[in-house]
Amino acid sequence: MPSSARAAHRAADAAAAARVRLLGIRHHGPGSARAVAAALGADPPDIVLIECPADADGVVALAADPEMEPPVALLAYVVDQPERAAFFPFASFSPEWVAIRWALEHGVPVRCIDLPARTMLAARSLGTSSVLSADQRPVDPIAELAAAAGYDDAERWWEDVVEHQLDPVVGPAAADAPFVAVGEAMAAVRAVVEPLGEPTDELERWREAHLRSGIRRALADGCSNIAVVCGAWHVPALERASDPALARRDAAALRGLPRAKVALTWVPWTHRRLASRLGYGAGVTAPGWYHHLHRHAGPDVIARWFAEVARVLRAADYPVSAADVVEATRLAHALAVVRDRPLAGLSEVDDAARAALGAGGDAPMRLISSELVVGAHIGSVPASTPMVPLARSLAAEQQRCRMKPTSDERLVELDLRGQLDRSRSHLLHRVAILGVPWGRVVDGRGSTGTFRETWTVRWEPEHEVRVIEASALGTTLATAAQAALMQRAASAPSISDLSALVEAALLAGLDDVVPSLLDLLVAEAALTSDVLRLMGSVPVLVRTIRYGDVRATNAEQLHEVVAAMMVRITAGLVPACAALDDDTASAVADQITEVQSALSLLADQQMAATWRDALRDLVERSRVHGLVQGLATRVLADTGVLVADDLERRVSLALSPAVVPHEAAAFVEGFVGGSGAVLVHDTALRAVVDRWLCSLPADAFTGVLPLLRRTFGAFAPAERRALGERLRRGERSGSSLVEALDAERVAAGLDTLALLLGAQR
Amino acid sequence: MSPADGPAATPEPSGVLRPHAEVEFAHELAALAALDDRPRPGNWRLSPAAVVTYLMGGTLTDGTVVTPKYIGPRRLIETAVATLATDRALLLLGLPGTAKTWVSEHLAAAISGSSTLLVQGTAGTAEEAIRYGWNYARLLAEGPSPAALVPSPVHRAMEAGSIVRIEELTRLPSDVQDALITVLSEKTLPIPELGSEVQARQGFNLIATANDRDRGVNELSSALRRRFNTVILPTPATVDEEVDIVVRRVAALGAALSLPAQAAPADEIRRVVTVFRELRHGQSDDGRIKLKSPSGTMSTAEAISVVVQGLSMAVHLGDGRLRFDDLLSGIEAAVVRDPVHDTVVWREYLDSLAMR
Repeated sequence: MPSSARAAHRAADAAAAARVRLLGIRHHGPGSARAVAAALGADPPDIVLIECPADADGVVALAADPEMEPPVALLAYVVDQPERAAFFPFASFSPEWVAIRWALEHGVPVRCIDLPARTMLAARSLGTSSVLSADQRPVDPIAELAAAAGYDDAERWWEDVVEHQLDPVVGPAAADAPFVAVGEAMAAVRAVVEPLGEPTDELERWREAHLRSGIRRALADGCSNIAVVCGAWHVPALERASDPALARRDAAALRGLPRAKVALTWVPWTHRRLASRLGYGAGVTAPGWYHHLHRHAGPDVIARWFAEVARVLRAADYPVSAADVVEATRLAHALAVVRDRPLAGLSEVDDAARAALGAGGDAPMRLISSELVVGAHIGSVPASTPMVPLARSLAAEQQRCRMKPTSDERLVELDLRGQLDRSRSHLLHRVAILGVPWGRVVDGRGSTGTFRETWTVRWEPEHEVRVIEASALGTTLATAAQAALMQRAASAPSISDLSALVEAALLAGLDDVVPSLLDLLVAEAALTSDVLRLMGSVPVLVRTIRYGDVRATNAEQLHEVVAAMMVRITAGLVPACAALDDDTASAVADQITEVQSALSLLADQQMAATWRDALRDLVERSRVHGLVQGLATRVLADTGVLVADDLERRVSLALSPAVVPHEAAAFVEGFVGGSGAVLVHDTALRAVVDRWLCSLPADAFTGVLPLLRRTFGAFAPAERRALGERLRRGERSGSSLVEALDAERVAAGLDTLALLLGAQR
Repeated sequence: MSPADGPAATPEPSGVLRPHAEVEFAHELAALAALDDRPRPGNWRLSPAAVVTYLMGGTLTDGTVVTPKYIGPRRLIETAVATLATDRALLLLGLPGTAKTWVSEHLAAAISGSSTLLVQGTAGTAEEAIRYGWNYARLLAEGPSPAALVPSPVHRAMEAGSIVRIEELTRLPSDVQDALITVLSEKTLPIPELGSEVQARQGFNLIATANDRDRGVNELSSALRRRFNTVILPTPATVDEEVDIVVRRVAALGAALSLPAQAAPADEIRRVVTVFRELRHGQSDDGRIKLKSPSGTMSTAEAISVVVQGLSMAVHLGDGRLRFDDLLSGIEAAVVRDPVHDTVVWREYLDSLAMR
């Protein structure tokens, strides 16, 4: 005789004497939780069985830890593939949570009897079931019951019939009465939904078989008063648990189930996540309200709620008086009477708040909904919770930097000159490197400042999974982030990717990894023949050097790298700019602008000089794209290399009649580069461009018109107007600015100016 | 103004252009009262739940059909009725034509059996309309005495324990508005000339209406505002809901004006309602075309009057069939309030209509 069958027989014998109490509940239903507490208190069982993955037995005891504060979730993940994970969230008002807490406080053994997570997760990857959640069922049984009772809203039916039974009847048998009724109702629903008498879904069949065998095991262990806390849906299936024939069938069904190597732990959860219907959300629409009902069960629950509402509204500058709270409470009770409900529910308090506190408007209601009805609660788990080393290190860092994760989005402004803020910045950057999107850099106030960083931070429960995924990289935050950078560097072929990694490493304060990244960068720079790529990485590196001292990072070696790269760039610039098509030319022009502004940041005379030489070379070459040449000319003019006659000669050369009109137009575009100021103020240049435009043959003019339109269209309206006026007046020579000055009026202003500047006249 | 007769009065619409709610729907109120077995607040003629049924419609256990008076969200009416059962007064806010007056009249009729205790708020309304006035001949002859006092509707409602209505509360001058504060918070009306006061009896409450769009109104002081629970009546949510409202009201008004009921075809009404909705929301009903909104409010009430006017033109001056052309001039009159701006809006609208 196989051992399971023997156990079944023993169970059948024991069942005669033992009582199995099936407490069918609604997951996350505060009324169910109250009823469970009442039933357990009135008739204390000698074991509590919970619908929860059986392999969670080891961590369930942590629920008794005083530091454990719901909402929390059981997290099960496949050890070598942490992204395959499942969450089983519990709120303070979850009946299962109440039962676990009760059992642990009263020293009653508690056992998880649902299908182990190792099988659920393995089954999911086999495609046995597409969705997996704590309360999976084929249809919504509550909705069917509610519809039968004439309710259109299932939530409300449950609230009225079960949850709002404020005074559970006294006496051991009476406390179980609601559960008996719920079980009977579910049996009726399941008889309709499952004509075959068992779930159609394979995973569901496994689960119920496992639940039954859990009950049998408790019976075999000689327990005489067994409380089973499970979803109401499962109650009918568990009633005949001790039937030997069913026991044999279950044993067969549970043989050879798939399994994966799985680890379980507790993670903090949030009310927002409970409210969400997406992802791992539990679809509890009003966790904050339920939490309130659970915590303040009693006659003043509604008044306390409105006191909370008033607090939230006052914080947002709505004038709410104590008298308003009184009136809102009265109105909610009156509404409950009008609507024939035993107690004011969420829709009553909402309507009452709208009429009595919110002046009928929507804005305060949105605030109440987000702050209270859903709520920003985030749970916490004790330090003794099994955690991957990385998560422990992260928690320690968060504590050290006083950056407790929060579930609502916050703006964090960091002043990098301060020690604490700098380590916060490092923390956030390191976490980001690990692919955990906890914080995001935003353009904050004065984002151009070099010592300020603005982040928005928001912690989502599923970030825990990302941390576990990243835990393979290292045991501390720093080592893991370094490993992540090196891993990416190894697979990042382009020099611009590498320079981005160097920047990330410096921002995250991972100085140890910088030398090896720089080595890779130098090697890559030596090998790469692509001047464009080299140019692309210069601005990043220069920024790093420039702001390096603020962050107390050593940037000298970077300077050398940049110098070496600039040598290569200047050498390769002219050949790289030969025979470009329009698109590439515009990309090159952008790069030149970037490098130019990077070099002006760096203020390295020698480097700037070689760069100017290269540009000069570019300008004088033929067969370089007009746009690039125009831009180079402009840069040289701005830096004072090309002046007056030289500049005019250069422009006039580029715009000679022999040059293809298209090329010449591109030159103009590159040269004026979106700002007409140079043409407004430099009469000679204006004359050259004007002459060129006027000399264009009619058909050539039509050809270049789109280009010209783009060039001149980018000018500011005031510039366009000024330019047009100058041209109409026919100012073709001399400086218009000087001519327009009236010596007398200038003299009048000079006194004031001298006073301002503190100069003697 | 006659004192409240209550729903017992026989409906006698002949000759009266628009009978009071409690007269027109006397049989519904009587049936509701007969079947109502729930507790009623002091001096209420119906329980709060029965009042909601009266407003929202339904079929009673004895087969009486209660016609819906308000078509819209039930929870608003429930909030309104529940408010009247509490210590606070009710403020109905909304755009013109969102049935504020209509709802307040029916609430008063159902709760107190009389909708006639009414103060119409205008810029010229004096404090006497809220407190009390004097019969000056008597006052001069006899000096101050209760007999020389002329009670206001508010005064009478306090004595009778019934509902009083104030229309267009925000049109009242601010000092007159503030005369309400004592009434609403202390539930007494002091009469210093006589050294006495009127204390409100159970069942007294106040329904005020105001619209939140009109210009030139006197904003409520926050002290007064705190004495009210506010319910905002929305414009109808869907075309179908609005068409339903217009059809019902046109039929009711048509009966009073002896216009044949079948003369207003539903598809013509739908076209009118669509025009009004599109102009009100500033975009076409399918959400594809943006339109300018005219300066008028384009309310449902105006749509109703356009249809009734078109109907009477068709019946009395035409061949008895309502055509869209008959309605068009009425619509134009409703749209063009500002001769310059609105004419452009209207012309553009017609162009966009032609394009579709």
